[in-house]
Amino acid sequence: MDFLERFLKRLGFMVLTMVAMSMLIFFLVEIMPGDVAQTILGQAATEESVAALRESMGLDDPIHVRYLRWAGGFVQGDLGQSIYMRGVEISSIFWRRVGHSMLLAFTAFIFYVPVSILMGILAGVKAGKTADSVISFVGLATMALPEFVSGIILITIFSVYLEIFPIASLIPIGQTIWGNLNILVLPALSITIVMFGYVSRMQRSSMIGVMSSDYIRAATLKGMPRRYVIFRHALKNALLPTITIIGMNMGWLFGGLIVVETLFGFPGLGSLTLSAIKTRDIPLIEACVLFITFIFVFSTFITDMAYAFLNPKIRFKQGEV
Amino acid sequence: MKNKQKTMPVLEINNLNVEYKTLTDRIVAVKDISLKVGRKEALGIIGESGCGKSTLTYAIVDYLPKNGSRSGEVIFMGENLLEKSPKEMESYRGNRIAMVYQNPYSSLNPSLTIGFQLEEVTMFHQKFSRSKAREAAIETLTDLYMGDAAGIIERYPHQISGGMQQRVCIAMALLCKPDLMILDEPTTALDVTTEAVILDIIGELKEKYNMSLIYISHDIGVVNKVADRIAVMYRGEVVETSSQEAIFNDPLHPYTRALISCMPRAGVVKETVRLNTIPGYVTRRSAAETGCPFVPRCDKKRPGCEDRYGFTERKSGHFTACDRAYAEDVPERPVQIKKKEVKLPDNGPAPEHRTILQLDKIYRYFGPPGKRIRAVDGVDLTLDRNSVLGVVGESGCGKSTIGNTVGGLLRPTSGKIIFDGTDISVSWRKRSPETLREIQLIFQNPGRSLNPSFTLEAIIGRPMKKLLGINSGEERKKRIVDILKKVDLGEEYLYRRPRQLSGGEMQRAAVARAFSISPNLLICDEPTSALDASVQASVLNLLVDLQKESGASYIFISHDLNVINYLSDMIMVMYLGRICEYGEKHEVVGSPCHPYTEALLSAVPDVDPSIKKEAIRLEGSPPDPTIKIKGCPFAGRCHRKVGTVCDTTPPPKVDFSETHFSYCHIKPAKIEKKVMQAGEVMRTQEI
Amino acid sequence: MNIFLLQLKKSPRAIIGLSVLLLWVFIAFAGPSMTTRSYTHMDMEYQMAAPGEGGHTLGTDALGRDVLSRIVYGSRSILTIALMTSLFSSIAGIIIGFTAGYFGGLVDTIFLRIMDILMAIPPLVLAMVILGILGNSTILSLTIIVSIAYTPATARVARGALLTCASNEYVDAARIRGESHFYIMFIEILPNTIGPVLVEITARFAYSIMMIASLGFLGVGLQPPTPDWGMMVIENKSIIRTAPWTVLYPSLSIASLVIAISLFSDFISKVMIHEE
Repeated sequence: MDFLERFLKRLGFMVLTMVAMSMLIFFLVEIMPGDVAQTILGQAATEESVAALRESMGLDDPIHVRYLRWAGGFVQGDLGQSIYMRGVEISSIFWRRVGHSMLLAFTAFIFYVPVSILMGILAGVKAGKTADSVISFVGLATMALPEFVSGIILITIFSVYLEIFPIASLIPIGQTIWGNLNILVLPALSITIVMFGYVSRMQRSSMIGVMSSDYIRAATLKGMPRRYVIFRHALKNALLPTITIIGMNMGWLFGGLIVVETLFGFPGLGSLTLSAIKTRDIPLIEACVLFITFIFVFSTFITDMAYAFLNPKIRFKQGEV
Repeated sequence: MKNKQKTMPVLEINNLNVEYKTLTDRIVAVKDISLKVGRKEALGIIGESGCGKSTLTYAIVDYLPKNGSRSGEVIFMGENLLEKSPKEMESYRGNRIAMVYQNPYSSLNPSLTIGFQLEEVTMFHQKFSRSKAREAAIETLTDLYMGDAAGIIERYPHQISGGMQQRVCIAMALLCKPDLMILDEPTTALDVTTEAVILDIIGELKEKYNMSLIYISHDIGVVNKVADRIAVMYRGEVVETSSQEAIFNDPLHPYTRALISCMPRAGVVKETVRLNTIPGYVTRRSAAETGCPFVPRCDKKRPGCEDRYGFTERKSGHFTACDRAYAEDVPERPVQIKKKEVKLPDNGPAPEHRTILQLDKIYRYFGPPGKRIRAVDGVDLTLDRNSVLGVVGESGCGKSTIGNTVGGLLRPTSGKIIFDGTDISVSWRKRSPETLREIQLIFQNPGRSLNPSFTLEAIIGRPMKKLLGINSGEERKKRIVDILKKVDLGEEYLYRRPRQLSGGEMQRAAVARAFSISPNLLICDEPTSALDASVQASVLNLLVDLQKESGASYIFISHDLNVINYLSDMIMVMYLGRICEYGEKHEVVGSPCHPYTEALLSAVPDVDPSIKKEAIRLEGSPPDPTIKIKGCPFAGRCHRKVGTVCDTTPPPKVDFSETHFSYCHIKPAKIEKKVMQAGEVMRTQEI
Repeated sequence: MNIFLLQLKKSPRAIIGLSVLLLWVFIAFAGPSMTTRSYTHMDMEYQMAAPGEGGHTLGTDALGRDVLSRIVYGSRSILTIALMTSLFSSIAGIIIGFTAGYFGGLVDTIFLRIMDILMAIPPLVLAMVILGILGNSTILSLTIIVSIAYTPATARVARGALLTCASNEYVDAARIRGESHFYIMFIEILPNTIGPVLVEITARFAYSIMMIASLGFLGVGLQPPTPDWGMMVIENKSIIRTAPWTVLYPSLSIASLVIAISLFSDFISKVMIHEE
C-alpha cells in the first residue's frame, strides 16, 4: 500500500520533471540569439524568402503555441526535422545513435559497477590496511579525472603502443555495431576509470559506516564468524546507498559519454549532441538534451523504486506491537 | 572436578590493563583491574562516563578498537580468554558469554527479520536446524513475556517499540543459555516504566537460566535493582567493591562517598538538603600517571596519595583502594545544612499579581492533518511567582513542547499563554524585547546550546547588548565577570570557547547566559540529563541558589523524578500531551492520585538499596500519538482501569486540595483509601 | 591550525597533493614570464618536433607551436576559471541553500523540487548547450555558466550543512533573544559550517577543472588562439600516433592538477570530519 503510494508519487514527479525540463530546454534554446530561418537559408537569402520560410515553419507563432506543437510531436514520437541536414527526419538517425550509446553505457556499466563495488567493499573491510590505501588512492586519483584524459592514456597504451584496440570507434559503412564490438572497449574503460573513483569511494565509506555500527558489533559478539557478518549482516545495508549513488549518476555517465564519444569518434547520442550544438541545429539539440534528461529522470525513478523495495524500513510500514 | 566447577568463579579478572594509543599520547582506559564473578552472582559496575566500564567489557570479549591493547588475565571458567585466538573467541561470544547493549534499536540489523537474527545464534552455536532454532527463539521470547512471539519473529526491528527491541536483544543473549551475561546500560535509552519491567525480567531470568551477570550502569539506583555486589569504577580503576548494602551504608572510598551523597534521591529535597558536589570533572588518564585516580578531586588527599595506591580488603568482602574515608583531619562535608524555611505568609503581592504565567487550553500539533501528532493536547496551568514547577513524564509526553511553547520557539496551535498580564501566545518573532528578556531557556545539551565559534564573552555578552541595550563593551565585560563568578567560573573563562570547557562548566556558562539579563521565568529543559552524577549536583545547587536569590520562577522539565522532587515546589505529571496530575511536591509525591504517577513513582530506581519497592508493571507502550484519543490516554496501560468509561470519556478533573488535582475516572474515595505504597516510601524517607 | 600542520605532516598524500597544486599555481603566476616562446608562435622548422628537438622541451604540435609554453599559458586560464567557479558556485550555493534550509517549509520544498529538476540535466550537458549556442566563450562566460551548472550541487551541500547546525540549541537561543534571520544564518550558523563548506569548495575546485577541461575538449571552451589544455588534446588527437606528446602532456597536466587537488581535498575532509 505504502509502496504503491510511493510508486505513484514518484511516477507523478517524474512526469512533472519531464514537462518542466522540456519547457526549460525549449525556452532556453529558443531565446538564444540567431534566426533559424536565416541559418537554414544562409546569409545571402532575401528578406522575403526568410519571412516565407518563417511563415511555413510556424516560427512567428507565439512561443507557447510552438512549445505545444513541439512537445505534442515529441510525445507522438515525432522529433521534428533537422535544420542542418536540410529537413531530414530526426528520428531516422536518432534512435540508431541512441542504441549505440545505450550499448556503450551498458558496457561501461557492467565494467564499473561490479569492480567498483567489490573494491569499495574490500577497502571498507580492510580500512587502514595496505589494500585500502591502494584502492582509496586510485579512487581518489580518478574521481575528478576528465574522461578524455583517461581515454588518452588508454589510447596511448592500448592503441599506440600495444595496438590491441582501434584508436577511433568507427563503424565501417555497411556494417553494424554488432560486428565491431571491440570499438566499445576503450570508451567503456575510459568511463569506468572515472566512475570507479566515485562509486568505490562511496561504497567504501558506506561499508565503513556499516561495519562500525552497533548491529555489526552485536552480530560479532553473538559469535558469528567475520566472513558471515560481512556478507550476511553488513553487505545489504552497505549496498543500499551505493545503489542510489549509481542510479543518481546515470546523468553523469551520459555527460561522460559525450566526452568519450567525441574522443573516440563513436557514433552515439553524445557525439550527435555535440555536432548538433556546433551546427546550431536547434530541433536536434532539443531532442538530444531532452532524451538525456529522460534517461536521468527515468533511472532516478528506477533507483528510487529499487531502494524502496530493498529497504524494509520503507517496504514494511511501522506498526508498534 | 564437578565440585571444583561449583566453587570456581565464572569469571576472574586479574590485573587487567587496557591502553589506547592516540596521535600524541597513550591513554589508560582500564588500569590494573581484578574482579571476580561467582556462579549466579550479579556484579554491578557503576561509574561516570569515560570511566572505562564499557572498555572493560570489550576487553573481556576481545573487541577492542585497533589502537587498543590489553594485558593481564581474564579467566572464564578456568580458561584465560586473553590467550584465545579470534577464531576460538567466536565459540565463547554469544554462546557462553552474551552481551546486551544500551541502544536496542541500533543493535538490531535493520534489514533482517527478528526471527533470522535470533535463529542464527543457535544455528551457529548449537548446530540447530532452522525449524528447531525457530522453536527455541519463540520459546525464549515467550520467557520474556512477549505475547505474540510467533508474530514478532516475522517482523523487522523498526516495526516494534524500544522496550520490545530490548527484550529481543535480551532473548538473543539468552538463546544459548550462557554462563555469563554482560549488560551495558541496557535500560538507559528506555523510559523509566519500561526500564522497571526490563529490570524485573532480568532478575527473574537470572534465576531461571542459572546465569552470572555483569550489569553496567552510571545509575546506582538501577544497579541496586539487579546486583548482589557492586564495583565502583573511576578513571579506569575499580576503587571499591562490596555488597550493595555496604556500598551505600558504609562506603569506604572518598569517591564512592562523594558520589552517593551528590545524587538526588527519595526524601532529598532542596528545602532540607544541599547536595554534595565534587569539584572538577573526570579527565582522561595518561599512561604516565600513578597513584590514586581520584587525587585531583579528593578533599581528603594527603601527601603520598599521588603515588601510593593499593587495592586491599578492608572488611570481609569489602575491598577498597583508600584508607582515608573516615579521616578525621578533614571533616565530613555536611549533607544537611539548612533548616526548613518558614513559608512567608500571604501578605506579599495581591493574588492577581501572584501568578506569573498562565496557560489556557494549550494545544500544539505537529505534522500534516491525518498524520497529526498531538504533542500537547489541552494543558491548563498557572505558575506563581518565585516558585519552581517541575514537569515530569516519559519521552513523547509533551513536556519539552510545553517548555518550547512558553519559551517562544513554538507557537501554540490553539490556546492562550498569559505572561505577567500580557498575551504571549505568539512565536518569538512577535514578542516584545521585554518579554524575550524576561523568559529564558536552558537546554539539555550545553555543547549544543553554546555556539562553538564564540568565546564566553561573546556568548554571554550578546543577550546583554541585544536585550538590555548595554552598548559599552567595558560595562558588559564587568557584568559578565560578575555573573561568571556567580556560577563558579573565574575571569579566566572570559575568552574560552565552549570546546575548551567540560560539560559541567558549559552548562554553568549557559546558566550564566540565562541569568545575565535577569529573567523572571526560566525554562530548564532537562538541564542536567547530559551531565555526570558528580557534575549534576553542582548545577542543581547553582539553580537552587540563583532561584532563591533572583526570585525568578522556573519551569523545570525532567524525566528524572528524583531531580524533580529535589528542585520543585509544584509538580505536574504528563502523559501523551495531557496533564495526569498536578499539585504541590509533597502532595504529588506523598500521595499520588493518578495511577500513572503511582506507576512512575514505583519505577524510579533508588540509590538506597534498602528501599525495596514493587514496581508496577505497565504493559505495552504509549499509543500512537497520531490517533485521536477519546478517553483517557493512559487507559490502555492502566493497572487500575475502571472500565470502558476510561476508553470512551475524557477523565474528569478531580480536586483533592486547593492545589492538588488529577484527571482520572477512579472515584476520589477509592483513591483516598488506597494510600500509595510508593508514596509512603518517599515520605518516610524524608529526613 | 597547529593540529592542521601536525596532521599534514602525517599525511604524505596530502603533502604531495599540496606541493603539486602549489607548483601549478607558481607556474601559472610566474611561468609565462619565464618561457621564452610565445604560445602562438609557429616554428615552421620544427613541426611535430619530438620533445627536446630544437629547444622545444616538450616538443611542438602540428603547427609547430611549443607544447610547453602552451601548457604554461593554459594553466593560467584553467586555474583562474576553476578557482572563481568553485568560489562563485559555493557562495551562490550557500546563499540559496541556507535560505531554503533555514526557512524550511514551503520555501524549502520549492527549492528542493527546483534543484531536483535542474539536477536532471547533467552539468556538463547544461554548460555545453548554453556555451555552444552562445558561442565565443570567454573567461567570464565560462565562469558564469560553469558556476550556474554547479550551483544546484553546492546549494544542496550548503543546505545539508545548515540543517545539521540549525538543529543545535544555540540557534534557538539566538531566536528567542530576537536576532534577525540574517544574523542567525550568517553570524551564528555560517562559522560552524566552515568544515563542510571548505571541503565542498576544494572538491568543487577539482570538479571545476574537470568540467572546464572537458568543455575545452568539446570545443565550447576558450576560443583559439588562447591555449587551453582540453582543446590541445582534441586538436592534436588525430596525430596521436606520430606525435603522442602533443596530446599526452596536456592530458598529464590535467591529470596531475586534478589528482593533486583531489588528494588535498580528501585531506581537508579528513581533518574537518576528525575535528567534529
